[in-house]
Amino acid sequence: MSIAETSTQPTHKPTLLDWPEQRFPLKLDVEIRKVRDLFRAATRNQWDPRTDIDWSALEGLDIDDEHRHAARMYWSRRAWSEYGAISESPALLIRFCEEKREPDLRYFFTIRTQEESRHAEACYLMAQHLGGYIQQPALHDFQKSVATHGVRKMALDPETPLEAIIAALVCAAEEVAFDVFRHLVEITPNKAANQVLRSIMRDEVRHCGFGWAYLEHRIPRMARAEIDVCEEAVITMIRDVEMNGYHSAWLAPDSEATRGEIEADRLTWEAGLGATIEELEKPVFVESVRSIRKRLAPFGIAIPMFEHPKFDGPI
Amino acid sequence: MAQPGRAFSGEIPVERRFPLHLEPAIRSIRDLYDQAKQARWDPERDIPWAQFDPSRYSPEVLAAARLSWSRKAWTEYGGLPETPALIIRFCLEHERESDPKYFLTVRNTEEAWHLECCHRFAELCGGFVEEPASPAYAALFNQGLHREALDASRSLDAYVAAHIGIQDGLDLELCRLHRDNATDPVARAILGRLVADKTRHAAFGWFYLETRAAGWSDAERLTIAAEVEHVVYDTELAGFRCVWLCPDAADIAEADRITGDAGLGAAARADEEPVLRRHLADAAAQFSRLGVEASIA
Repeated sequence: MSIAETSTQPTHKPTLLDWPEQRFPLKLDVEIRKVRDLFRAATRNQWDPRTDIDWSALEGLDIDDEHRHAARMYWSRRAWSEYGAISESPALLIRFCEEKREPDLRYFFTIRTQEESRHAEACYLMAQHLGGYIQQPALHDFQKSVATHGVRKMALDPETPLEAIIAALVCAAEEVAFDVFRHLVEITPNKAANQVLRSIMRDEVRHCGFGWAYLEHRIPRMARAEIDVCEEAVITMIRDVEMNGYHSAWLAPDSEATRGEIEADRLTWEAGLGATIEELEKPVFVESVRSIRKRLAPFGIAIPMFEHPKFDGPI
Repeated sequence: MAQPGRAFSGEIPVERRFPLHLEPAIRSIRDLYDQAKQARWDPERDIPWAQFDPSRYSPEVLAAARLSWSRKAWTEYGGLPETPALIIRFCLEHERESDPKYFLTVRNTEEAWHLECCHRFAELCGGFVEEPASPAYAALFNQGLHREALDASRSLDAYVAAHIGIQDGLDLELCRLHRDNATDPVARAILGRLVADKTRHAAFGWFYLETRAAGWSDAERLTIAAEVEHVVYDTELAGFRCVWLCPDAADIAEADRITGDAGLGAAARADEEPVLRRHLADAAAQFSRLGVEASIA
């Protein structure tokens, strides 16, 4: 039976789920044109991982078992990561509905979640074609490395400002992810892997565009104290999540799991199947942080320089 | 009298993500997901909006149609918060199949397209109406299904049985009736798209229940029957979809009659009542085959 597991967590303080629904008045007109246009663009640009990727490009690969296994692990790990967005991000749509936010957000997020499922499916299929999807990490530490940002909890907490979640999750984390995807598209020679990365990247462009369009709409309507919360959220996301190895294993503290992940990335990259290595990714990351800082500045969000042992000076 | 949403227990399940199953496990539902991806459509491109000619209709008919289509939008909107909650619930249940999760992500997009079409058509008919005139009827919409879907104290299977087996199934049958009544090219095209998508939505529920039924205990079957009966008696027979059952929504029932007569995509009680009776009888028989005896026919 599917009554949920008994290991439930009491909600110690009220969440959005404690609010009774008040559907009316129901406003559906366009309020943020850019976001509505992103919804329409997403509708026009759907794809199907099963039929729109040339999977034959993975047949007869001239690679040894070590490289093949690494690539299986890399794409399985990427599937776990994409899955996180299916499991967590829909909570934001509930938030948009319950707080009666601009209708464009609600429309856009329906298709965004579908895109996340396409991404998870495509990564799963990559792993399958390379010898088989792996259902779980071998090491506990590894599990932590694919843990989530806690988006679901934040999204359902009415005391966590929505704008701060969007600024941190989309304008920082997704922006970094997008820049890395673009880099991967540039360096990945295998046709199927490249198609998967390129298809995901095209969706991610819209995901990032959503965040910037939303901030552009909201910031002029926010008080300084509210903008400060956004600023702190972005700083935390970059310093404590991204620079702790959320997207890039080489930024994570050293551990057996981290070393295994870095090695799998290197072998996958060597095989031309879609990962990258520290030397190549480092300038991409630096530029990504610089770009985020520059784009947030006009909103009154000041992002400081960061330090990390992997970099010679502040970035 | 409409009942407000039921209480929330305050508990949501805790996720244990691994092992993470992404392989196809329920073939019938995976096929629905694959079909849905291939059947993708675009409200902007695939509905012949330019063919709508309001001058063909009297002001009385247009006023009725704007209300009928606004009501469709109010109903369609329910999926926007409900489906994401259901996706999360499937993800929180330990070691659950990926197929329902994938399928529901597409369903949510389709619900957004349906909403957009109903809203736009109401606008073309004179303007979308933002809320029902009757607060009592409006209260029927505040079911808070997203809360129920995430509530750890409630059975997911009972939720699917009641809200998909009963409600999505009835939604499909009424939509099919409205499409068959429609002569206006835009109304008919919209309803045609809705029927195609909702056919998959309804099938999803029954496919899911069929895979689960063998594992239900007697107590679980009783829980499912009770939830089905609750939704039938407290929501559907209160007039949520068959608006002529709601004494507080006579204005909409009359609008639907006029809209239906004009071929703009609705129906009167005389046409809807047999559909409702047949659906409940069919659902009762289907549940019985799954070992659930619900008194709904």
